[in-house]
Amino acid sequence: MNGTDAAGILEEISGAISNLEGIDQIKKLVERALKQKHSVTEIIEGGLKHGLDEVGARYEKGEYFLSELLYAGEIMTSLFDVLRPHMKQNVTGQMGTILLGTVRGDMHNIGKNIFGMIAQFSGFKIHDLGVDVDPKRFVDEARRTGADIVGMSTLLTSTLPEVKVVLDGLREAGIRDKVKIIIGGNAVTKQFGEEVGVDAAALDAVEGVEICKRWIAR
Amino acid sequence: MTPRERMKAVLNFRKPDVLPWLESMYEETVLTWFRQGFPPDKVIVIEWEVGRGGTNLYNWPAVKGFDAYTYFGCQSFYGSVVPVDIGPLPRFKLKVLEEDDRYVTIRTETGAIAKRIKGEERTWYSMPMFTEFPVKDQRSWEEYKKRLNPRDPRRYPKDWSKDDYISAFENYQRGVTMMRFNGFYGFGAELMGIAPFNIMLYKDPELIHDMADYWEYYITETLRDAVDTLKDRIDMVFWWEDMAEKHGPLMSPKLFRQYCLPHYRNLTGFLRKNKIDRIMVDSDGNINPMLDLFVESGITGLWPLEVNCNMNAVEIKKKYGDKFFLIGNLDKRELAKGGEAMRREVDSKVPVLKEMGGYVPGADHLVPVEFSLERFREYTDYIKSLLPYE
Repeated sequence: MNGTDAAGILEEISGAISNLEGIDQIKKLVERALKQKHSVTEIIEGGLKHGLDEVGARYEKGEYFLSELLYAGEIMTSLFDVLRPHMKQNVTGQMGTILLGTVRGDMHNIGKNIFGMIAQFSGFKIHDLGVDVDPKRFVDEARRTGADIVGMSTLLTSTLPEVKVVLDGLREAGIRDKVKIIIGGNAVTKQFGEEVGVDAAALDAVEGVEICKRWIAR
Repeated sequence: MTPRERMKAVLNFRKPDVLPWLESMYEETVLTWFRQGFPPDKVIVIEWEVGRGGTNLYNWPAVKGFDAYTYFGCQSFYGSVVPVDIGPLPRFKLKVLEEDDRYVTIRTETGAIAKRIKGEERTWYSMPMFTEFPVKDQRSWEEYKKRLNPRDPRRYPKDWSKDDYISAFENYQRGVTMMRFNGFYGFGAELMGIAPFNIMLYKDPELIHDMADYWEYYITETLRDAVDTLKDRIDMVFWWEDMAEKHGPLMSPKLFRQYCLPHYRNLTGFLRKNKIDRIMVDSDGNINPMLDLFVESGITGLWPLEVNCNMNAVEIKKKYGDKFFLIGNLDKRELAKGGEAMRREVDSKVPVLKEMGGYVPGADHLVPVEFSLERFREYTDYIKSLLPYE
């Protein structure tokens, strides 16, 4: 196979994902790429990630919305199911590890889950602690997993102070400087992020993942 | 003018003598205020009713709730509402499925399974985590539909005597009279969950079309008697959607046009034929990308216009003029800070919007628990000083 053909099928996969075509149709493209002897890594890097990046870019531009992000996540999950039997090793997690959770007192999980899904498909290993996470657990798990990034979500204004409690806990444990901290959720603003002393406050899941990617790339 | 006359004037872009002010409060906020010195005897609503049980035929005082709105002098959405039950009938049996020291998991009356933090399960401020929803596919939707029968006699009160209700709706003067229902995005997301519903918009268009078709039929037929009876004695429609997040709509405008717009137009057309044309969408989040579509849909009002989500009532007024009446848009976070921050926020919106017309001031969503009683009083005093017209 020549380079043009190789690029062709991967571009086709990428384009089909970014245009949100039918899942079965995109699965067939991935199966074709496998038959053409593309490695799983090539397909993920050259097809899936490009497609997802484009979905994220369109979301940031206001062309796509949550419905499109969620459907893109559904596509990616289905494609990973196709690829998994062909994986010699786990190809996710190479970007680094993100410890993720919704702060104590808050049971919202949609934004956190979308962030986790995009981050995972972008190559991060995700340790999702769920919702209503005790501050001590954030600290203990950050130490245990050796996470590169701690992500906290809070939708409620009443639970914003929990972010500071976790930060204080990380400081007391002596690991604040070893991790980057990112926060997100409806109640979060850039101003709050600066005031409380996190490394970044993301206004949406796509922006959050882009920030994490930049941190790891440095 | 009465509070209702003031509100009707503003909703119809006429000038009242005093601008009405509307708030919506979490019950948890009011309960918090009690701990901060809110006088119970001034806000607890007591009704005298025949004692139950035994031979107590005499009247007995029963606590029915609390009315903080009258105490502060603001209006609410909850005064006089068309008493039609649009929920599933029969209701699912409310049941505790699991319980430990921290959480309780329940099956709700709408058929979802929700996990709540204990101690907060009776309030909505800390939303539960929904772990299961009653509608997952065509089969479960067909099952659920059986509970959405518009002809079920339990939908209307037993005392639905039209003359009495007409008279009640005519005479009510403490605020607007209202009719409430769930919209075409809101009902779907409520029955399937936000993420599954959004995914199904792509994965199973036939199911979504079927749900939207049925919902239009169901809402129209369920409310038909009330609408025919009360007509424009209903001042405002409260159309619940909650269809956006901070970044923008949950459902893209393209999908809205495909799935919702025709039904919006049919339903607003039905209401308009009955002289009901003050139709307000309740949606949190950034709905800016939806506004042109709302105009096309026959929607004429918006609440709460969350500042944190980039909603700006002054900008909307400049762009859309009298196509929308607007309620809210005062940044609750700034109001809750009190002092200069609160005054700056109020001053930046209320005087200019008061002159532009068609605007009712209020916080940009329900008054949160961290808004202290002392600061709410300070805000009350300040905003009330700005309401009268010269």
